[in-house]
Amino acid sequence: MIIESIELHNFMCYSGENRFDFTEGMNVIIGDNNHGKSKLYDAFYWAMFDQCFDTGLKKWMPTRHFGTEIISDKAIYEADSGMVRAVVRVTFKNVDRDQAYIIERRLTAVKKENGTAADKESEETVLFKEFDFMQGKEVTNPAEIDRIKRNILPDNIRPYMWFQGEQVESIIDFSHSSSLTQAINVLSNITRYDQVRELALALEKSANDEYQRKARAQSKDQGRSEELEVRRRGLVERLELLEKEELKKQDVLGEADEATQRLMGQFEDASRMRDLDAKQRAVERSLDEVSDDEKRERIDLHKKMFTHQWVLKGTSHLLEEYNAKYSKYERTRLQMFAEAQAKLKAENLIKEEFQTRLPINVPEPMYVNQMLDDEKCLVCNRPAERDSEAWNSIKALLERTTAKLEELEPESLTKHDFSSDFKRIQQNGYAMERIIGRVDSDIKSTFQKLKRLEKRRKGYSEDLNKVTEEMNSMKAGSSLDPTQAKNIVNELQAKQDLIKRFQTELGRTEKDIDVLKEKVKAIDKEMSGLVSGEMPAYLEEKKRVLEEFAIVAKSTRDRVFDKLVRQLEAEANKHYQEMMQGNQGVRGIIRLVESTKGNYTPRLTDENGNPLGQLNTGNIILIKLATIMAIISARQGSRDTDLYTLITDAPMSVFGEDYTIGFCKTVSRVYRQSIIMSKEFYKNETLRRELMVSPDIKRGKVYVITPSIADADRTNRNALTTLIKALN
Amino acid sequence: MNKEQILQSFLEDELFIENGYLKPGEAKTFKWTDPRNNNLIKVLRLAIDGIVSNETEGITSRKINAQLNPKS
Repeated sequence: MIIESIELHNFMCYSGENRFDFTEGMNVIIGDNNHGKSKLYDAFYWAMFDQCFDTGLKKWMPTRHFGTEIISDKAIYEADSGMVRAVVRVTFKNVDRDQAYIIERRLTAVKKENGTAADKESEETVLFKEFDFMQGKEVTNPAEIDRIKRNILPDNIRPYMWFQGEQVESIIDFSHSSSLTQAINVLSNITRYDQVRELALALEKSANDEYQRKARAQSKDQGRSEELEVRRRGLVERLELLEKEELKKQDVLGEADEATQRLMGQFEDASRMRDLDAKQRAVERSLDEVSDDEKRERIDLHKKMFTHQWVLKGTSHLLEEYNAKYSKYERTRLQMFAEAQAKLKAENLIKEEFQTRLPINVPEPMYVNQMLDDEKCLVCNRPAERDSEAWNSIKALLERTTAKLEELEPESLTKHDFSSDFKRIQQNGYAMERIIGRVDSDIKSTFQKLKRLEKRRKGYSEDLNKVTEEMNSMKAGSSLDPTQAKNIVNELQAKQDLIKRFQTELGRTEKDIDVLKEKVKAIDKEMSGLVSGEMPAYLEEKKRVLEEFAIVAKSTRDRVFDKLVRQLEAEANKHYQEMMQGNQGVRGIIRLVESTKGNYTPRLTDENGNPLGQLNTGNIILIKLATIMAIISARQGSRDTDLYTLITDAPMSVFGEDYTIGFCKTVSRVYRQSIIMSKEFYKNETLRRELMVSPDIKRGKVYVITPSIADADRTNRNALTTLIKALN
Repeated sequence: MNKEQILQSFLEDELFIENGYLKPGEAKTFKWTDPRNNNLIKVLRLAIDGIVSNETEGITSRKINAQLNPKS
């Protein structure tokens, strides 16, 4: 059965009538992000299963969850009040029989003045055309509709045939034994072996119980036998609990092991990025410190003019000049003093000479006073009127007795005496002489320090540029940012610790299980010893046969499972090698290694089984895609890849463009028909050309879809529709 | 896989050779209708038959017990 066409009428961004025709081979819908690829994928899913993908919840939700979102905004906007409808019609064709099935789904909404309300449920119509040229006949029987749909796409195959790129991770979850078992179950019905095993274990247990009951009935010591039975039951219960615990721990270990593998793939990058980030921070810190120091030093430079007396730089000659001037001043002053003293001395000499003519106190003051009172000189007997010259001369005689010789006061030499100030200045000058002597070397050492700081700052600045550049190029080439890188390193550490802890715990549990089993065995032995007479032969035989049945059932299940894993591995490798063709990177061989019981981890090895480094996310996705293809292509005795169409939305988005063509070649070789939504061919013209001309790609129809209004120019979706252009 | 193929896959277990129930290589050509009187093979046949025909575990268990219990 292939998909002949899909018609979309007012479905989401596909406003109006839209149609895609498909043929055998690889059909490709090319479009950038938000161009409507996922909505087209939704349309297929909605028509078949009445569900669309909620990108927020990341799960498929029924029609009622979306309501009017299913109907084109443009259709609703342009509609007059009344009914608006979205319709998707998919035509499946059985080429061998020339028969066709048409599955149509509709959702109706009513537009009123106060808004638009969609029906809670969609309507479905299935038409069957016995011959392609005939009119379709409606199928109304729900059971028949179910049968038709299962025929188009069986439930167990659906996850591996219709999937979105972002689901690939979870479709095959190597960390859960159930995930691989489920996949293996599609490959071959392993559940039958599981059922046989369950049956065998239950029968073994009941045969044992029956045997024990009989043994107790034939016991020589009933009391002891009963007591042993009670103990045995307790031990078996604990044993069952421990076995469950063991399984849980194995699952945790498996999960941690896969996570470790995944993280290890990113560890190298993450660790480099984390170290680089730490280095960047350290350099930034150092740069800040040295810049602060330099800034402080530059500010201090101005202060040092005064704090370190740099202002005195080059003033030593002033000191000398001052000293010269001061010496001259002192000399002049001393000279003036000497001159003044000489003058004074001369004056004093004159005074002394005067005194030698008439001794002091002659005539005695009482006679002088008598003369002044009498206004008459008693020596010459001439009158001396008061205040006359003669009278004043007599009075001078009286004052002469108190007159002393004058002494020279240095202050009186000049009008203002700055002598002491000049002296102080000179003393200060002497004090500063040493400082002035040091200023030059101080300035020199300070500038040297500044230079050193500047050099260090430049060094750190260069380092920072280098680290930043390295970090930017690392960021550009990696999907990580420093925070994620740090988280990966921490998570890996945590997972490794968890593995270590759980391995120890698992070892302990296994040991406890062995101890309990030994105890049960010992009890069984003791109970057998208590049996009197012979046990019935049929019971002995039954017990033996069912024990052997359990052994065979368990080991066969494991053997078959392992064989299927190897088969899956071989098929997956075939696809993986094909996808990797043309890629320069290390290819390697996928090995599904059993990490713990039932848990498989993919590893990439060389031909001799030596690990080829760690797997990155892209590798893991490729391995999973190869495994998904293998599940379908390796189904024994089936033609599933011929019978069902692969529909996948953006499967290549998680790995590099290097693998795109390889993936297309592989898909077109493996599947009779596939419909791939891809953005890889949108911008990369080279890839698109290769897609259109490569003889190794069996092409179906190729379309380019674009929105009628670019994302950036869109304020609402009221005029939005999708333009479909066929490239072939 | 049909019932015979499933049975053959169980018979490939080493236990059948070790216990002398089958000769080496015999498992691969073993027929579903083989009349061999071996209880373990009979039990396997009943179990496979029950599971392939979607019998409940209880019914298959009863059939197996009936096969191994003394005939009254």
